[in-house]
Amino acid sequence: MSRYAVNSLLYRLKKDTAYRALFLREPEAALADVDLTDDERAAFLARDARRINELGGFLHLVMSVPGIAAH
Amino acid sequence: MGRIVFAGAMSHVLDPDYYDHACGQVGRRMVEEIMAEIRRMGDRCVAARPDALVIVADDHLNAFSFNAVPALCVRVGTHVDRMVQEEAEAFDRALEGMPLRYPLHEALAATILERGLQDGFDLAFSWEAPLDHAFLSPANTMYGQRPLPPLVPIWVNCFVAPQPTAARCFALGRHIARAVAASPWNVAIIGTGGLSHFPELSLARVGETDTVFDRKILHWLAEAEYEPLSALTADELHKAGEHELLNWIVVAGAVTPARAELRYFGELPRINLTAVEWALP
Repeated sequence: MSRYAVNSLLYRLKKDTAYRALFLREPEAALADVDLTDDERAAFLARDARRINELGGFLHLVMSVPGIAAH
Repeated sequence: MGRIVFAGAMSHVLDPDYYDHACGQVGRRMVEEIMAEIRRMGDRCVAARPDALVIVADDHLNAFSFNAVPALCVRVGTHVDRMVQEEAEAFDRALEGMPLRYPLHEALAATILERGLQDGFDLAFSWEAPLDHAFLSPANTMYGQRPLPPLVPIWVNCFVAPQPTAARCFALGRHIARAVAASPWNVAIIGTGGLSHFPELSLARVGETDTVFDRKILHWLAEAEYEPLSALTADELHKAGEHELLNWIVVAGAVTPARAELRYFGELPRINLTAVEWALP
């Protein structure tokens, strides 16, 4: 199963406009309290959609989160 | 005694801009072609005068998140709202411009739910889940400016493993058919999504399809060979990018032994756009 932490973060980034704006403005601050591995954190900081997907990020979320979307 | 008066299945991102962006002019042309076929399917559906439209589709982690992922879920209540996504991307943009609220057929949903509980079919149910493109893009394409009949949205968890089996989805269709038969209503039913795309849900493989697998499925549907269809495994569906076929299998179960007639098949380097309509007695 896809990793919960990665996907719950993707879901929050898609649905929570204020949190998404913070992530796009100050990504390190936005992720400070999120429980991620070093690999996962690096993928989000790089907004590397393919890597996030490889790490268990649900494809349809990766394709549709504004600011990360790769399609 | 109620009966199913229309049954179809079709791809569910019916958005020329999306396929133009993904595949260029050929994408726009093909999706416009399939939309024209689906509008004609809608004409026949309207002519059959359904009291309700059952839509079997999947969630894309829009309606349900990580608090619960129901295997099978029916929407209850008097009305349902469409999903609103700010700064929408990709397939979510297909929803833009569509009406925000739709009536539900509360009594048919209750019949499917309550009869199911008595017969060993314990569906989840929701009063709040919104509808995304998987439900509204086909329904609005079929009906155009005409008012939609009251809806009965049913979600199948096609994407978040572990999914319900193909056999269980076929059995859900049989259950829906029994519920309709015991009701006073004429009912239309559609299943949405597919055919092959997004194998293994890998972003690196977006763009791959499996036309051989699709042709096999279309043959089974055309010949009403529903045993091999119901025997497909989650692994087979995942590898071929046929996750959303589960929705079609529900409809096949609802109308078996009817055969499906192919209305459109178009190969794109993203998805094989497909529409079928069952020949009902």
